Amino acid sequence: MRKLIAISSGILLLALSLAWWMNSRQPQPVELMPILTGQPEYCVTCHSDLPEISASHPVETFGCVSCHGGERLALDADLAHSTMRGGANPSDLSVAEISCGGSSCHTGSEADDRDHIQRVMTSVQSTYAGAIANIRYTFGAQTDLTAHQGINAITDERTQTGITALEIFNPTLESNPMIQKFGEECFTCHINAVPREGESYTRQTGCAACHSTEQHQLTTAISYTQCNTCHNRGNYDLRTMTFVERTDHLTNRLEEYYQPIAQFTQCEYTLDCVDCHTRSEVMGDGDLHSNQKDIQYVQCKTCHGTLTELPLTKTLTDPNDIAFRMAFLKPVVDLKLGDTILVTEQGEPLWNTRVLPDGTYEMIGKATKQKFNFRPVMGTACEQKPNEQESHFCHECHAVER
Amino acid sequence: MRPSFFHHLHPPTIPTAQSRWRYTLGAGGTAIFLMLVLVITGALEMFYYIPTPAEAALSIQTITYLVPFGGLVRNIHFWSAQLLIVVSAVHLLRVVFTGAYIPPRRFNYLLGLALFLISIFLNFTGYILRWDTGIQWALVVGTNLIKTIPFFGNNLYTILIGGSEPGSPTLIRFYTWHVFGLMIISAILIGWHAFRVRRDGGIALPPPSLRADPNRISRFELVRRETLAMILTSAALIILSIFSPAPIAAPIRLSVLQSVPESAAAPWFFLWVQQMLKWGDPFLFGILVPVIILLILVLIPYIFPKTLESELGRWFPKSNRLAQITLAIITLLIIFFTILGSLPTS
Amino acid sequence: MTDLSRRDFLKLTRDGFLYLSGALAFGGLLRFLSHETNSARKTEFDLGFVDKYPLGSRASISEIPALLIHTDSGFTALSLTCTHLGCTLKPNETGFACPCHNSSFDAEGKVTHGPAVKPLKALRIEITDEGNLKVFTA
Repeated sequence: MRKLIAISSGILLLALSLAWWMNSRQPQPVELMPILTGQPEYCVTCHSDLPEISASHPVETFGCVSCHGGERLALDADLAHSTMRGGANPSDLSVAEISCGGSSCHTGSEADDRDHIQRVMTSVQSTYAGAIANIRYTFGAQTDLTAHQGINAITDERTQTGITALEIFNPTLESNPMIQKFGEECFTCHINAVPREGESYTRQTGCAACHSTEQHQLTTAISYTQCNTCHNRGNYDLRTMTFVERTDHLTNRLEEYYQPIAQFTQCEYTLDCVDCHTRSEVMGDGDLHSNQKDIQYVQCKTCHGTLTELPLTKTLTDPNDIAFRMAFLKPVVDLKLGDTILVTEQGEPLWNTRVLPDGTYEMIGKATKQKFNFRPVMGTACEQKPNEQESHFCHECHAVER
Repeated sequence: MRPSFFHHLHPPTIPTAQSRWRYTLGAGGTAIFLMLVLVITGALEMFYYIPTPAEAALSIQTITYLVPFGGLVRNIHFWSAQLLIVVSAVHLLRVVFTGAYIPPRRFNYLLGLALFLISIFLNFTGYILRWDTGIQWALVVGTNLIKTIPFFGNNLYTILIGGSEPGSPTLIRFYTWHVFGLMIISAILIGWHAFRVRRDGGIALPPPSLRADPNRISRFELVRRETLAMILTSAALIILSIFSPAPIAAPIRLSVLQSVPESAAAPWFFLWVQQMLKWGDPFLFGILVPVIILLILVLIPYIFPKTLESELGRWFPKSNRLAQITLAIITLLIIFFTILGSLPTS
Repeated sequence: MTDLSRRDFLKLTRDGFLYLSGALAFGGLLRFLSHETNSARKTEFDLGFVDKYPLGSRASISEIPALLIHTDSGFTALSLTCTHLGCTLKPNETGFACPCHNSSFDAEGKVTHGPAVKPLKALRIEITDEGNLKVFTA
């Protein structure tokens, strides 16, 4: 008996030694106490190698869980990841309202210009309403070109465009096989669609579709290459209802920028898309629209004016002007109170531009930080007719040769 | 050698036959030891556990992942609780299959049954204290079952749940029952049960004149045997805990009725009830059948032919065959339903 | 004789008083425990503007839980709580299935497989003057 007890004590000691050994092999928990939540997180125990997501979201302030969700205390990968919002991408539109909107982040009233997510939800980039309406009209499923259906059902209670709601587009309810095929083949472009496997352009979904240009990075300096993950990467073939990726070998900015058939001027490919196109064009203005054209309004004349009119300008006198907020997020220019900048006809500030004392203008590329000087049309030898001032008329003379 | 306090908890000598592993299986003693382990590990968990819906599952994550050896403590608590159920069941089977429950031990048999029942309740309340998505349907189903009891089901529900649906009052009630109410009752019953073992003349044997083996062992030898059992049980608990951690899931963040649970399975010792519930009326299968089984167990010493005193001290005496067969059928059915219930549903 | 019956009487009185006291104490304990600390459950749910649920839509309302169905004949809100023992049902191809005890229901809420007996509850719906959809669970 005494021998048995001695042996079993040895077994107990071994078991406890094993427990100590296993314990010593566990990673030492690394605590992160974000200022914003004040609740400890242990995600960085494993994820210490991730780059800072952006200068505006320092990890010491935001931590991981504010955006990603997940179990902040769990050191078991399965449990820790089980409750993450949107999998690896918390900005997917299905969860963006919670993860990016939060209670006081990128959500809020229209008056404060803080309703980004609500606007994105109604924008044509999310609803895909224009394409759906056009296809259904072309194949006889609807009699006008007004949008009635979108990727998701959505309402706009304070509509300016007359479209109060979109129903969900359901290709299986369509009788025309071409519309059904459209539903099967052509739904990879809207902002919340996952790109098809094997496509040469990859991007995330939701906000990150545009704002995340690299792994775990968010930016407002969105290069044209990010826009290209959807735009200008090929053509839809309406006869077969399939997408044909472009096959020309893209070697430089000029060729990469626009599709071979497009006409454009030099500034259009030396600048990035976001240098001219505004937030409300890209992210929506809060209204439901039937077509991309209904919301894309920036033209050559927005910056260059016409023969008879100078472009619209605004002198910044209010320190709370939204132009300062936007310039602060991507400090490529040093905007000062009293500076005069160009504005669009809807009043959106083109905060990366400035009116110079000699009457010319300068623009700083948001992504390239390049400085461009340009002049108004007024006072030049331009022979354009006063009633033909849209960009495509400008292209007739000023297009780049390829 | 001077006997110590622990030696004095035992009689100076006992018949060798009473302490034979083959006869007793050491089940009763192991159960008491497991209870002791549960009290100690449970008290350690109480240093960190917070019994509120918002904090409960998070505090368990803290224990499991962040507190040094917290995972080990929690796993030992878990495995002790599961082993307690198994060991108690084995103890009950031993007592019936050896016919040891006859007077004067009949009352102690009832005390033991009460302890078995309480250890199941302790296990279930402890399971609920996780308050994560792994336990939530067990909570909903278990509490809704109470409502199906005619006449006073709704009142009983309110008394146990503390409201019209499981929530914060439920958690604090289950916590109080787990760490205090049921604990104190079982502590008293354990003392009583052990006292009655000694008062009733130790573990059941035939009268001295009919005993085959007249030898006795000393309390020193007895304590040594118990020590051996305790050391081996501890080692087994630690090894189980290292290699098979206690289940854990994401916290219940909305109300109990809203979150989507991870698993719809009952805790393993109620799988047989869950299986029967698939067949129909909840009151019949969820309440009445278990109560009838309990009633049969209670009545075993009263309604079946008594074991002959000369046949005590050995397995499967002829004289109480009927009780053995009854319990064997019940046990096999419960095991069978448990297996059925644990199979993935088609 | 009188002495003995006096003793019996006192014993009976004592027992009676003590048992009654015990019963009262137990009753008091039950009353003590039956207090409801949480307020009554929310029974009214505002689902927002009615246009959010266009014709043909099936919206899952997890806070009830229920399924709001908009068909040609109007709105119906089908409770997704199993009528057997209260687990939340999961939608499948033919209707709804209960993960706890294998009950299943068709798309209209009728029982297609036991142990549940009662069909799913259709919840009362109201559309307010402002065009908001309200669902009542009681």
